Amino acid sequence: MMNKNDYNKQGKLAVEIGALKLKNPVMTASGTFGYGEEYAPYVDLNRLGAIIVKGLSLKPRHGNPSPRIMETPAGMLNAIGLQNVGVKSFIRDKLPYLRQFDTAIIANVYGETIEEYLRVSEILTKADGVHALEINVSCPNVKKGGVAFGTDPDMVAEVTKRVKGATDLPVIVKLSPNVTDIAVMAKAAEAAGADAVSLINTITGMSVDVEKRIPHLKNVTGGLSGPAIKPIALRMVWQVAAQIHIPVIGVGGIMSAPDALEFLIVGARAIQVGTANFIDPRATMNIIEGIEAYMKRHHVVAMDDLVGSLRI
Amino acid sequence: MWTGTINFNNRIGPQHLHMAVRLPTEFMDPVPGQFVMIRPAGGGGTLLSRPLSIYQFVRNQDHVILELLYRVVGHGTELLSQLTRAAEVNILGPLGRGFRIDKTPSHRILLAGGMGVAPITFLADYLEGRLAGKYELKICLGAKSCAEIVGMERIKGMQGLLNIATDDGSLGSCGLVTDLLPNFTQGCDPGKTMIFACGPMAMLKTLAEQLAPTGIPCQVSIEERMACGVGACLGCAVTVHDRRGKRVQKSVCKDGPVFNIEDICWDQI
Ligand SMILES: Cc1cc2nc3c(=O)[nH]c(=O)nc-3n(C[C@H](O)[C@H](O)[C@H](O)COP(=O)(O)O)c2cc1C
Ligand code: FES
Repeated sequence: MMNKNDYNKQGKLAVEIGALKLKNPVMTASGTFGYGEEYAPYVDLNRLGAIIVKGLSLKPRHGNPSPRIMETPAGMLNAIGLQNVGVKSFIRDKLPYLRQFDTAIIANVYGETIEEYLRVSEILTKADGVHALEINVSCPNVKKGGVAFGTDPDMVAEVTKRVKGATDLPVIVKLSPNVTDIAVMAKAAEAAGADAVSLINTITGMSVDVEKRIPHLKNVTGGLSGPAIKPIALRMVWQVAAQIHIPVIGVGGIMSAPDALEFLIVGARAIQVGTANFIDPRATMNIIEGIEAYMKRHHVVAMDDLVGSLRI
Repeated sequence: MWTGTINFNNRIGPQHLHMAVRLPTEFMDPVPGQFVMIRPAGGGGTLLSRPLSIYQFVRNQDHVILELLYRVVGHGTELLSQLTRAAEVNILGPLGRGFRIDKTPSHRILLAGGMGVAPITFLADYLEGRLAGKYELKICLGAKSCAEIVGMERIKGMQGLLNIATDDGSLGSCGLVTDLLPNFTQGCDPGKTMIFACGPMAMLKTLAEQLAPTGIPCQVSIEERMACGVGACLGCAVTVHDRRGKRVQKSVCKDGPVFNIEDICWDQI
């Protein structure tokens, strides 16, 4: 009998995202897993492929006023507004804890200006214990930066190129679905030197309290996540994977191993679990185990045999 | 995350229910003011769990019983209200920081508006168990009307003076629960008094204004919409003053739900 963990040791689940080597393709999505520590009582952080922390800006940010979240059919809206401790406090107060784990730590980077993206990236590159950067050009809940950069291919290219010039860490560009053709953005990121792209960030939406005739979110609009967005995310990952050569990381509504497998089969090299963590803190563990069981059942010996194996 | 089995889920008011859930003994002893995230097992139609304050907790040899008192306010609580005996629920908890119970104050005033009665009753019970007889206790309950004053029987069985206010005067005095307070705080020694309150934000804001000039310390348990319940999503932010008086964001689920009343920036609410 093979022990569950032997699969990890044998590396059947191992994947490479450029120079970044992961023991399995399951990551936690930015903003849904805090700084890791919040979920440590429930999850063995060592078993995760990677932890992507909350979006970091140069200075701490207060975020948007409450209410910031609202459940909607098969999903939720959020307008957190990138509340975070700021990059310096992250390195001082949060990173030392994360360093003890044998898990890749990916910092999600946010800026209101290109200069801020650069500064944050430079500071994180010098810190010990950050293994890659995910550049967030897709947050829909802030007035400046974020999605403003992610809806213009020239801006995506510019941010990517400049950040690449400022770091030797692998750079993942996180794309917004709130565009006409997401593949255009992916190609712009690839041409500018990105090591990988991740998609999708949340889809903008809103919800109204009809009794009071007020929006459910103080910010009026928010980003939709959860099962409701999975078919859209999957379609976009499939389209993008067919058009670029760098790895694609699939995100959006992944709740279970079959959901994760769908993304891998349409071409995602790795996947991120977001909203599912809120519903079941052990969602990532179940997904890893489910992928292992699937590989065994289908006699798949390496992730490469699974990724992009869609038959049409 | 725990799977619990419903013992009972009884209707006790127009939209009010009393639920008892049987859980494994590994479930930790909660402190009054703490809460759980709960949803029907497997979701049953909602995605996120709902935060509910703990009303009662009993540890037995081979299981524990967790009791909740809640009002149907939306889709999530509506689905919970439909569960019957033997149905399963998913529970995360106990979560958050509950009431801080300092041994010194000899005069304690408990104030509950609406469903705030749940943690306040748990607290009254807890105090009785720990500090029997060594203090003076006053409990004030408020609600819209007589029909919405729930859980009174249990409180009546406890020590402490019970006072009731309803908006329409159908039970107790006519008015808000905060109107009852001056009777009890007049001439009391702020150093020997502690107020514990839970209820709608409007009530707590009024309380903050009322208490500001008196210097009487007060802990409030507040509510906010939640997704994760563990401090990860930052969905439940509240603005508070830190020790240096700077405005900072705290998570109601992890840093609260109990805060010192003067720490909260009420102008933001
Ligand atoms: C509460 C919340 C906060 C988020 N914060 C961030 C963030 O700081 N940076 C980012 O790139 N994406 C953020 N996201 C987007 C997620 O990382 C993810 O792309 C999205 O939720 C879709 O995945 P899901 O359906 O699995 O949640 C956030 C999502 C949620 C629900
Ligand atoms: S509910 Fe997620 S941080 Fe409080």
